[in-house]
Amino acid sequence: MYNFVEQGGVNDSGIEEDPEKYQKFMERIEAGKLIEADDWMPEEYRKTLIKLISMHGISEVMGALPEKEWTPKAPTLKRKLGIMAKVQDEMGHGQLLLRVTEDLLKPYGKTRENLMEDLLNGDLKFHNVFHMKTKTWADAGLIGWLVDGAAIISQTNMLDASYGPYQRALHRICAEEVFHAQHGEAIIMALAEGTEEQREILQDSVNRWWPSLLMFFGPGSASTTGSSKQEITMKYRIRKSSNEELRQAFLDKYLPRVFSLNLTVPDDTLHYDEQEKKWIYQQPDWNEFKQIISNKGPMSKERLRLRQIAYENNRWVIEALSKEHSFS
Amino acid sequence: MGAKESKTSHFYQEYEVFSKKTEKGSMQHQFSLLAPNHEMALSMAQENFMRREDVADIWVVKRENIYGLTSEERQLLTQRLENKDYRTTKGYGYLRSKWREKQQGMLDEKEIMSWKEVKK
Repeated sequence: MYNFVEQGGVNDSGIEEDPEKYQKFMERIEAGKLIEADDWMPEEYRKTLIKLISMHGISEVMGALPEKEWTPKAPTLKRKLGIMAKVQDEMGHGQLLLRVTEDLLKPYGKTRENLMEDLLNGDLKFHNVFHMKTKTWADAGLIGWLVDGAAIISQTNMLDASYGPYQRALHRICAEEVFHAQHGEAIIMALAEGTEEQREILQDSVNRWWPSLLMFFGPGSASTTGSSKQEITMKYRIRKSSNEELRQAFLDKYLPRVFSLNLTVPDDTLHYDEQEKKWIYQQPDWNEFKQIISNKGPMSKERLRLRQIAYENNRWVIEALSKEHSFS
Repeated sequence: MGAKESKTSHFYQEYEVFSKKTEKGSMQHQFSLLAPNHEMALSMAQENFMRREDVADIWVVKRENIYGLTSEERQLLTQRLENKDYRTTKGYGYLRSKWREKQQGMLDEKEIMSWKEVKK
């Protein structure tokens, strides 16, 4: 997922490093070959992957936090089991992706611990949707249905990614996302076919999450927020489509379903332009987006605090297991 | 930023995880993980990669104990001799029509692999 904005671009296109190796590298990825962790790669490619995958991985972990809040509040035992399984998957996805990042970080001598520090000091960003509050049980369903739906659109677009370890991780992740999507749909369906009050909390949830869902795919172009990595990730065959193309694919797939449940979205201007073959919609506030991903969103600080508490409270496990304390 | 030496710097080791789905299956590489020791690695492997799938066996191997091809050596594998017909049944396919002329069937892979049982 995880199109992000960053301050200033990376200027290490690999061409200056070694033109011959660079050309061979480009020929390989253009022929659909995969790059492995120990293969030569341009610095720009490595840095782009690190940014993308560390953000993806840490967002999986940060995304589990608002969802786990719903485990005790889930209405039935079956729903508790379902959402627990999903939270566990998200942590598992985080583990996979952090592992991929760690191997990429090796030449810089950085480890998982450094990634956690980067997260806590704000250098490593996590996805805009996970900075937001959840209010009702409908939000738990909506996250599974539409937030994971948006994630599925972004992630399936990278199933042919040129970097082998990321591609393999994504294949595992997307297979599990199918369960997440249906888990979310099941919650939504029950509410949509439920009482007046249930329908109201569902509509309220769609209304509150709508701007975040549009923001999810990132700005249409760098001019909106300063800079964007979408061209670089496409050049290196990491993903295939632009932010806007992905957003349109999301609207194509999900809006008919939203409407089929007699739900509306909070945008009077929204319509499908038959000639241009695309959805016309009200742009979300991209300045707000920038604020949110700079850890100034409604729940940014609390979620980071939770992560910090987990990190500090569980440190004793590491100490207990570490060799220095072992008597064996 | 250089790696900061700390308690956890040497705590985690890299493990590669292999598993098979059924008794008859072959071990397949799944992914890697970080763990402080073999026991934790085995338990993490189940948590990380086998939450749903059937699993018949799991191995964890310290990455440093795996000796494999280098990036350059892997590239050379793509330059191997392409025509190996002499080594595969594909190179002997003409026998099918020869046997047909003699009103006999071809003893191909499907046929031979079906000879598990013979008449008592």
